[in-house]
Amino acid sequence: MQRKMRGRGVAASWYGIARTATVDRAGAWAELDDGGTAKVVTGVTEIGEGILTVLAQIAAEELGIRPEDVTIGDNDTARSPEAAHAGATRQTYMIGNSVALACREAKARLFAEIAAHWEVDAGTLVAFDGELRAEGTNLAMTMAEAVDLCKRRGVVPVGAGHFAAHGTGLNPEDGSGAPWQAYVFGTQVAEVEVDTVTGEVQVLGLWAAHDVGRVINPRGVEGQIEGGVVQGLGQALMEDYQTANGHPVTHGFAKYILPTALDVPEITSILVEDPDPLSPLGAKGIGEPALVPTAPAIINAIHDAVGVRIRSLPATPEKVLAAIAEKQARAAAAREAAE
Amino acid sequence: MPEMTLDMRVNGRKVTRRADPGQRLLDFLRDELNLTGTKEGCGAGECGTCSVFVDGKLVKSCLMPAAKAQGADIQTVEGLARPGELDVLQKAFHKTGASQCGYCIPGMVMAATSLLREAPEASLDEIKERMGGNICRCTGYTKIIEAVALARDVVTGRASPAVLEPEGVGESYIGHNVRRLDAPSKVTGRLKYAGDMVMPGMLHMAVLRSPHAHAEIVSIDTSEAEAVEGVACVITSADVPGKDGFGVFVHDQPVMARGKVRHVGEAVAAVAAEDVATARRALAKIRVEYRELPGLFDPEDALRPGAPVIHDYAPDNVVKHIPIRKGDVDKGFAEADLILEDEFSTQQVEHAYLEPEAGLAYVDADDVVTVISPSQNITHHRHMLSEIIARPINKVRFIMSPVGGGFGGKEDMIYQGMLALAAMKTDRPVRLVFTREESIIASAKRHPSRVKYRMGLTKDGRITAIRFEMLSDGGAYGMSSEGVMRKAAILSCGPYEIENLQVDTTAVYTNNTPSGAFRTFGGMQAQFATESMMDIAAERLGLDPFEIRRRNMMRAGSLTHTQQRLTSASIDRVLEAAEQASRWEPGAPTMRGPMRGDLGGPGTRAPCTLGARFETPKDSKERVA
Ligand code: FES
Ligand code: FES
Repeated sequence: MQRKMRGRGVAASWYGIARTATVDRAGAWAELDDGGTAKVVTGVTEIGEGILTVLAQIAAEELGIRPEDVTIGDNDTARSPEAAHAGATRQTYMIGNSVALACREAKARLFAEIAAHWEVDAGTLVAFDGELRAEGTNLAMTMAEAVDLCKRRGVVPVGAGHFAAHGTGLNPEDGSGAPWQAYVFGTQVAEVEVDTVTGEVQVLGLWAAHDVGRVINPRGVEGQIEGGVVQGLGQALMEDYQTANGHPVTHGFAKYILPTALDVPEITSILVEDPDPLSPLGAKGIGEPALVPTAPAIINAIHDAVGVRIRSLPATPEKVLAAIAEKQARAAAAREAAE
Repeated sequence: MPEMTLDMRVNGRKVTRRADPGQRLLDFLRDELNLTGTKEGCGAGECGTCSVFVDGKLVKSCLMPAAKAQGADIQTVEGLARPGELDVLQKAFHKTGASQCGYCIPGMVMAATSLLREAPEASLDEIKERMGGNICRCTGYTKIIEAVALARDVVTGRASPAVLEPEGVGESYIGHNVRRLDAPSKVTGRLKYAGDMVMPGMLHMAVLRSPHAHAEIVSIDTSEAEAVEGVACVITSADVPGKDGFGVFVHDQPVMARGKVRHVGEAVAAVAAEDVATARRALAKIRVEYRELPGLFDPEDALRPGAPVIHDYAPDNVVKHIPIRKGDVDKGFAEADLILEDEFSTQQVEHAYLEPEAGLAYVDADDVVTVISPSQNITHHRHMLSEIIARPINKVRFIMSPVGGGFGGKEDMIYQGMLALAAMKTDRPVRLVFTREESIIASAKRHPSRVKYRMGLTKDGRITAIRFEMLSDGGAYGMSSEGVMRKAAILSCGPYEIENLQVDTTAVYTNNTPSGAFRTFGGMQAQFATESMMDIAAERLGLDPFEIRRRNMMRAGSLTHTQQRLTSASIDRVLEAAEQASRWEPGAPTMRGPMRGDLGGPGTRAPCTLGARFETPKDSKERVA
């Protein structure tokens, strides 16, 4: 066997969106504010996934303004409607749809006043990027002017929205039930190089194809995939929290090894859109699903490269070397038996 | 404490402070000068979040005593650009979407600044190598590297500054690469995480943690600790006025150990004092008498008859068992041409978010107990705390501070209760910031799993039956175990339509560090086993791995493992997309690597040999491709 051996592996996956086997729900408030800006109030804040930007994009699109004109608050159980947890790949789906619905209500209030003012049907009004016009006419104004006019007519354009995802509990005997209303699927291919002298595995390329429903922010989705893949890589090859009789022995980053910039493969993300038919936005999610197929794709690639199957994570250099040695011993024994 | 006058230039301004010379430069910058853009991710020189320039040289300020910086010229992330402005690197981070939770980002920006100052023409490999000492848990580094390369190109004139401008919008903001709105606050270090926040009159908390995995608490004597000057209060489980217990599913965990400890690192008591050093000193004066109990450290042992019982309510040590049944597995295995049996295991994994747990609690003028923390579930935490402190729900308020990485690890209310109790007892704001070691030993991990797998297939690769049995170590407390077992069971057999299956997932109590929610919630452990089995089966049957997956995949109209009818299933589309993008060469997975023609093409990087980037790639002829 040559020293450096390469191979490829694939793994597929699936995942459910939002909380499991229960009715998930969330709410949001919106107000078209002075200057053609907007306030959106939800109970969440950023945990790094980009939700604030996604919500600003959704609000901007629904209200006809720009994302930077949207102010998002309040992340506070005493000041904002229920949002529940920042997890379960539910933020875009649950809060995103709640914000969209809240914005639609606020916009309807505004449009009713402008339509009355212009004496046109509210259905002809279109707002985008801070401009409002009535289709089929040359009537137009900025959203800042529209909010001002609306308020002078005595109406503050506010809205509230809530969204539910109807999962059902599982039957305690046979587990039957409909735990989620939206599912996503993914497939990843990994290309690895195995050093048969040191047992070290490097992941050189990774192709990640994920259905995320309608994409709100492509770069944001890629960022989630890249982060998920590298966490999956860490679990596949190096990370290992250990205890001895309950005493943690990997209690710092010197002992608990994490992937660094040098471990990262080139990652190619392919975003597949199968929009969700049950929600206003059609978006689903990506936070968790991105990680699921990475480790098995890498382990299958190691098998492709050197013919050994790692059944216990992580595939550390020691484990890979031991598996190669065992395979060679088996092959030698088989040769001997044949002679 | 001894004090001396420290003089330095910080971000171009002369600074003079009387301060403890033994403190770290990191503390001096953060606590004395309020320059909280410099973060503490580990306190041990291992993560890079605390990087600053000292006389032009990049140093880790957690390793440098403040006194050693006497007279030096210090530059922190706050000093890179004028207020309200971004420098080229910061703009590049903004443009590429390089910041996610943002906690590593000031350190990354500092490391990249150093790199561009010292090696403005750095190659991609050199960028990766020089950034290799900075840990990021969120981004997978890809967009950070892209940002540094972009800034390099602008600085060296290879690219026009226009590449840093936002992309123009077309007809919709949906599907558009809007730059992250929170990025400027993160690349400049301006964003305040909970551990960066201060309030007038604020106390600091330190927590006494169990040195034993399983022990009865015979007595706790806090009197000596309470007498230490500067200590405002000491709290134990005796201070809980309401129903003590929290957890995502079962409320089996007390705010602090009650009667016994169940894992090493469990909170036993806490001190709130004028400063952290005093609080820590007082911890040493709390007297706890333990009587050690036999411990459980392996999930299989937990199920044996006569095993020690960890929680009285669960005499069998089972946190949760989830069964799923569909069709008739005996019939399915009888129809199989090939039956495969195998076992798989996955390890316990640390979330390693760069922001250690931190929080700040106070009681406001209307008697509302308020907790600011990077909680991933303020709605549920509010419910639980209201019962624990026996106050109506509108007298409990949770504010979610920016989360410096969560991944599920900040769903458990492991410290907010202590903060609330101390704030109530002292009527002063109280802040707690975990050390990295505390964060690692006290927070939940990804469930380690063992899976026994049996799969029956026909000659042409159709799965006829699956038996899937998973045992997980839930550790000392229930946390998210129930939900993790449920999700693992539902997703277990993968995106395939299986007519006959029998799935059981079980989590048990042990005296190990608790397992809890971690990105995928059991989904990855289960599907690791299934996806390994799919390739093992493909090899035995001589089928291409994509092909065997297609022969079994779910479609619109399929019945899932829990017998839910799917209206659509995009698995066919993602399989095809991955196959095409990777230019996959079809064939059975029989150690085909040495023969493959699809290796080393677009979408791959060169293998790296540390420090060898200037050599000609002499091992290139060794390459298989
Ligand atoms: S290197 Fe200083 S805090 Fe991690
Ligand atoms: S963005 Fe790097 S740790 Fe979160």
